[in-house]
Amino acid sequence: MRLSRRGLLRAGLAGAAATSLGGLTTGCGVPTGSTGRDMVLWYWSGGLSPKVVQDAGARYAGAVDLQAIQIGGYYRSKLLTTLTGRAHIPDIAGLKGEDMASYLPNSDQFVDLRTLGADRLKDRYLGWKWDQAIAEDGSMVGFPIDCGPVAHYYQPAVFEKAGLPYEPADVSRELATWDQFFAAGEQLRKRVPGSFILTDALSVLSISVNQSTKRFVDRDRHFIGDQEHVRTAWDRAVEATHRGLVSKIVNGTPDNTSATERGLLPSQLNASWAAGDIKLNVPRTKGKWRVANCPGGPSNIGGSFLAITKACREPEKAFEMITWMLDAGNQAQGFVDSVLFPSTPASYAMRQLREPDPFFGDQITMDVFGPAAREIPVAFNSPYDVALSTPINDEMRNFYVLGKNPEKAWRDAMSKCRRIADHLGVSH
Amino acid sequence: MATAPALETTTPPTVTRPLPARPGKGVLGHWRLYAAISPFYLLFLAFGLIPVGFSLYLSFHRWDGLGPMEFAGLSQYRYLLTDSQFWSSIGNTLVIWALATFPMIFLSMVTAVLLNSAVRFKNVYRFAYFLPNVTSIVAVAIIFGSVFSTNFGLVNALLQAVGLDQVAWLNTPWGIKVAVATLMTWQWTGYNAIIFLAGLQTIPGELYEASRMDGAGPVQTFFRITLPLMRPVLLFVLVISTVTGLQTFSEPQVLLQTTDNNSSFAGGPGHSGQTMVLYFFQQTFDNNDFGYGAAVAWGIFLVVIIFSIINWRLVQRRGED
Repeated sequence: MRLSRRGLLRAGLAGAAATSLGGLTTGCGVPTGSTGRDMVLWYWSGGLSPKVVQDAGARYAGAVDLQAIQIGGYYRSKLLTTLTGRAHIPDIAGLKGEDMASYLPNSDQFVDLRTLGADRLKDRYLGWKWDQAIAEDGSMVGFPIDCGPVAHYYQPAVFEKAGLPYEPADVSRELATWDQFFAAGEQLRKRVPGSFILTDALSVLSISVNQSTKRFVDRDRHFIGDQEHVRTAWDRAVEATHRGLVSKIVNGTPDNTSATERGLLPSQLNASWAAGDIKLNVPRTKGKWRVANCPGGPSNIGGSFLAITKACREPEKAFEMITWMLDAGNQAQGFVDSVLFPSTPASYAMRQLREPDPFFGDQITMDVFGPAAREIPVAFNSPYDVALSTPINDEMRNFYVLGKNPEKAWRDAMSKCRRIADHLGVSH
Repeated sequence: MATAPALETTTPPTVTRPLPARPGKGVLGHWRLYAAISPFYLLFLAFGLIPVGFSLYLSFHRWDGLGPMEFAGLSQYRYLLTDSQFWSSIGNTLVIWALATFPMIFLSMVTAVLLNSAVRFKNVYRFAYFLPNVTSIVAVAIIFGSVFSTNFGLVNALLQAVGLDQVAWLNTPWGIKVAVATLMTWQWTGYNAIIFLAGLQTIPGELYEASRMDGAGPVQTFFRITLPLMRPVLLFVLVISTVTGLQTFSEPQVLLQTTDNNSSFAGGPGHSGQTMVLYFFQQTFDNNDFGYGAAVAWGIFLVVIIFSIINWRLVQRRGED
């Protein structure tokens, strides 16, 4: 099983999870970090372009021996283990986007990148992405690697059969809102029996929340998951289910692959890196896909950062290296090698990112992803978001998979959230 | 050490006394012996006892894994006792354990008896039956995910072949439990069959010969001779299965990890397949709630202790029979 990016998101293969507790690492630096000459970089498979890492090692070989280590399994646990144990801490560490909120309150573990002159480079990166790395005290914890703008992947042949628009520009225009998207879903179901425009209702909920400027807990540690923006997203997912637009097919099973190949699941709302997953899981559908704008507006899933830990002896040198690795040219390389969508808008115009993609019928997908990436709404990510969105997602699954009454599901989600909020010291 | 019985000799018997603890020669006096056995204890201290003690300490605190720890008193435990998800995870664990263990013991026994009768290629079979146990659980779970998938799964194809309806195995609370339990049964049947086989081979052949003389049929022989004599082995298997069953983690984890960005420790829709250890992982590593995670771990510890006591009682009583 080749682990894709998404595979890493659901990480935690049992063995890996178990060894992560052992904090198994391969020959890293000396216990107190680097000697200055040796520099250890931690990342995960697919987190950086291997070629860019190699080039950085060669480029700075005169001053630094860069040891880049790909940490397998449950990355964050291993990083937390070394940071807490204060031994074998890498000088430079990748931080995953979904974990970022949990690192920010502990910004004292990392070098504030503003002290190294990060602000000079600010205008070269996506503003919302940059802001995600700023802690409450204003310090900058991580430097932007990639992001994951969400788009609408669809199979034009099936859309055409259903009498729907099928050219990317038309789909973007005529399926621009959720209502239009749902209406198209109904038409698809009528004209192409057994087909569904949505694989699950959860994606509607989470993408809708991501399209707003608020999430589940605000800066004042107050629970806001019971407010309008979440309720609207919830109702939207419920509506999609009631209108019969959601398939019962479990993600990641052969059913899913087969239905996708047969054109019964001709549509996916997913991040830019999902293109790699589609290519991997259903290679036979090559040429049968196109990309259009996501209904309801741009949003983001995932994307990571590089941080310099306090254990690093040569932060200036480290900063020089990471800013070189993450400049517009190298981020373009990262997209070509590992489908890492650049956080540097200058990359979007580069030739290698404007190559027609045969898997997408020679479409230039950057025309969709680039503009989306620039317009992603900024929302505050709280370290308590995960704990307080879990009951909402759970109850959504109870509704659309197990058939629970949606009103009761919402009420149960809210009462669970309030209990968890009390436990975590979050007001509500 | 008892004294050796005096032999019939003319010399008076020399009385050998047990090694005396010479005065002034306590622990320090025998430091060499203690040093010789110390490696295990030192390793156990460093990697066993200290972490266990730390987790107990941790369960009285709030901690996100990096920042400062906050003392929380008993609040983590209070929260644990009122957490319905924790209780339902205990229920899930027990249901999955029962669904996996009883068919497993039955099948293992049948397999062992068949292997014990005169068959050719006995060693080939033994090897084949043992194989599932050493196969990577992750690979197995992926295969089982295919076997139990709704439209193209092997199980549903068989159900349809005999005219029954399809079951959405991985989307219904009972379906999930049955799928996880089946995986575990498949994994452990061969292993326990080998243990049963070892037990069967210790039963003396004369007993079987005698029963044949008395005109007992194979069924009678099995229930009157084989089963009673296999009781200790049966109990051993039951105890081991209980301990491993209560710690079930990887089977539901890999089988039910969803491909949406949901937790891979949720145990499927409605947490139907979330075992105690999965719940512990979810609370600890998804929510960065290490203090509460430690409290959950101690909750699991108590449950396992209770079941160990029940097992022990069972074994004791059997021993008195």
